[in-house]
Amino acid sequence: MSFLVPGAAFLALTLPAIIALYFLRIRRPTRIVPALNLWPHQIRDRQANVPWQRLRFSWLLLLQLLGAAILVAAAVQPALSAGTSLARHSVVLLDVSASMQARDVAPSRLDEAKGQIGGLIDQMGSQDRMTLIAVGSTPRIVASVAGDRQALHRALGQVSATNGQADLSAALTLAAGLVRPGDDARAYFFGDGIVGPLRTDSSNGLPFPAEYHRVGVSGENVGLTSLVVRTGAQSRAGYLHLQNFGQQSRSFSLEWRADGRLVDVRPLTLAGGQAEDLVLPVPADATLVSAHVATSDVFALDDTVTAIARAPRQFRVLLVTPGNVFLEQALRLRADIQLDVVAPADYKTSAPYAMSIFDRFSPHALPDGPFIALDPPAGTSLAGGPAIGIGRTRATDAGDPLLTNVDLRDVHIARSQDLRSSAFGRPLITSLQTPLVLVRDEPFRQALFGFDLHESDLPLRIAFPILVENLSEWMLPPSVPSHSFHPDEPVTIVPETGATAVTVIRPDNSRRPLASNAIATFGDTDLTGLYTVEQVVAGNVDKSWFTVNLFSEQISQLKPAERLTLPPVNTAATVHALHRGQLEIWPWIALIALVIVVIEWLAFHRGL
Amino acid sequence: MAALLDPPLLRRLEALALQVRRAVSGRMGGERRSNARGRSVEFADFRNYTPGDDFRLIDWNAYARLDRYMLRLFVAEQELPLSIFVDLSGSMDWGNPNKAATAKRLAGAIAYVALAALDRVRLTVFAVGPTSGGAPYRGRRAVAELFSRLQSFPVGGATDYARLVWPIGKQRPGMTVLISDGLGETSIDTAIAALGRARQEGAILQLLAPQEIAPDWTGDARLRDSETGVEREFTSTPLTKGAYLEALAHRGQEIERSAHRHGLRYAQLSTDQPIEDMVLRSLRRLGLLS
Repeated sequence: MSFLVPGAAFLALTLPAIIALYFLRIRRPTRIVPALNLWPHQIRDRQANVPWQRLRFSWLLLLQLLGAAILVAAAVQPALSAGTSLARHSVVLLDVSASMQARDVAPSRLDEAKGQIGGLIDQMGSQDRMTLIAVGSTPRIVASVAGDRQALHRALGQVSATNGQADLSAALTLAAGLVRPGDDARAYFFGDGIVGPLRTDSSNGLPFPAEYHRVGVSGENVGLTSLVVRTGAQSRAGYLHLQNFGQQSRSFSLEWRADGRLVDVRPLTLAGGQAEDLVLPVPADATLVSAHVATSDVFALDDTVTAIARAPRQFRVLLVTPGNVFLEQALRLRADIQLDVVAPADYKTSAPYAMSIFDRFSPHALPDGPFIALDPPAGTSLAGGPAIGIGRTRATDAGDPLLTNVDLRDVHIARSQDLRSSAFGRPLITSLQTPLVLVRDEPFRQALFGFDLHESDLPLRIAFPILVENLSEWMLPPSVPSHSFHPDEPVTIVPETGATAVTVIRPDNSRRPLASNAIATFGDTDLTGLYTVEQVVAGNVDKSWFTVNLFSEQISQLKPAERLTLPPVNTAATVHALHRGQLEIWPWIALIALVIVVIEWLAFHRGL
Repeated sequence: MAALLDPPLLRRLEALALQVRRAVSGRMGGERRSNARGRSVEFADFRNYTPGDDFRLIDWNAYARLDRYMLRLFVAEQELPLSIFVDLSGSMDWGNPNKAATAKRLAGAIAYVALAALDRVRLTVFAVGPTSGGAPYRGRRAVAELFSRLQSFPVGGATDYARLVWPIGKQRPGMTVLISDGLGETSIDTAIAALGRARQEGAILQLLAPQEIAPDWTGDARLRDSETGVEREFTSTPLTKGAYLEALAHRGQEIERSAHRHGLRYAQLSTDQPIEDMVLRSLRRLGLLS
């Protein structure tokens, strides 16, 4: 046992003070009574008619001395040695990812972890500090290097589970930044171990040792992990993937709804570990479809999924070319593009198109919008220098999103305009001699090819349709993407031309206004369900939708990891010896003192 | 007068009368049926005429039949001699409302009822010893003087009930009302027994203050007797307060038993009770007034 506030022992002086009070004569107020003989001869021993009297036994005195002694004992704050070993600075990482909502431990994994952390807080000594980090898709510091246990309890109580995935690497990096070199620190990760893969920068080691405290026991869960709506030639259908991630067979019913109306209910039985793919009918007029499995498993977040059933909006695209079958075919691969092909002589500037492609042609006035210009004729505004011979090509930046999955290793180009002095934009594809493809974002997303496709083998490579797809998606992103996103995944929303107001309505009906004059990244996608984007265009409200679903087999698997390989301590860090946590017992002692005082009060009023 | 009792109350008191259980014997005519024979409409007896008798009372019909002078005797309606003894000792000068002040008002109210019925009222206040309130009062005209005298008596001193025995004993049979808190050093039993011996009917009215019926204080105190000035240190706890209340109740029961033993009525009254309520409700319920 140790004493946290030994200096409070001076309060023991109250004991002789109480005894002294019993020695002293008390001053009594005089009360006149009609007949003294009616009043009993009842007087306490401590009452005497002399200034000092002999101390005699009194139950009240005994109780008061006992109460005072116990209060002094509480004031010095005795603490017992607890079972947990603590560092001076405990960095507690609390998993708040979606899987922590599982109720395989009552009331939930998160509450269980909070209970364990609460016990850790209670065992902190007066010199100990704690940093509390909520580990979600973006780690968040809940309490930073705090020693106030009440404040830590309050901060811990306010932590709630999210629907995202735990990014432990980012949390460890954040924690490492909070620990000063030489600190006696230790990290405690409370979670189920269902976290994203640790990044390589974490494997370099941490400036403190880290422990994994597993929370959760079971992985019995049936979850829906995918739902997409495909439009075929004749009809549309929903493709649903569901799986029993547990080991026990489960029977349940699947409810299939379109715009909230029940379309189908199917009884299903899945053996342990069994997965099933279902093809479900989608009514022609449906906007939204949803599937729900009525199971009594421990995890509800993956029991309901939603998908947008409405066909995407069509874009009108103009291809001005003397003839380019490669380009034409590559553009038609996109289902949402309605392509108009015209000869250069038939080109009219007034026609409204979402995107224009000028193949070996350049209009007098370039359109105010996205376009791709290929091998513009010499003398026009976009034309580069005289053609020069080109050999192999390469990407200017291999990590550029526009070149995702575009393999340029076997692409050869005979000759290209010299674009070295062009001020069009940044180079996307280049060669030893000259940049070959330039792109720019301002004033509109536009691209300039310095070569004629017919003078290269690019159209014959698989890279070509992919490059065209990437460029057209970059230039013509859907205003609102209709596919499903994961929780906390940002969604890019491109306001319609002429939109005066853009608002996103979340599944809980809360509204988030967005800027109507710029591409917006909407990040409040923590809730699963249907998000409605309302755009006011010319006084009309145009609605579009996207969905957020868990769709994570890793999370739905739900089984807590027995072990979690955490980064080791780096060699530069100093590992300090741990000390035992302290279990303070003074509140109980104070409670006993309170009981003694109440007994003394009752005894006094009963005339003992 | 107005300071002692309000005129509206006095008007209400006029409707009341002292209720006696046996015939009274007064010296003057009144409205009470007495043992003496006198003028009234109620026939009582015949007796032989002796010289000196009022010849107007001779029953001439009887003379015609018996050839003897016979006198018709009627029940004389006489006054009720009412004695009021008011305790004005030091213990009565206590409480809120003050017991002595309330006792004076109560005595005044009872006296007014008697005076309004042409009864004779004798007032005696007592503390260490009895003090006469003057010659007996009779008739409404005496009300003002009685009230004035009642208010003029000082309050204080120790109670000695034994010294009431002589003034009580010299009374003729009648009605006596003794108003006291019954808390003197000596027992009130001696005075009650004297009332019984003097063939007095009436009532012992024990008047207490609400603060002594239910003491509202606790803790340590130095108690001082209001009459003797004796002091004693005391600690009031629920336990000791219970013992006091038990002693007070026991004292009241003793007085009640003694009163009943000697044919007297007993009532314990609290000074927080309005005087109207005391007279019009409590004393009527007691049977003292009707």
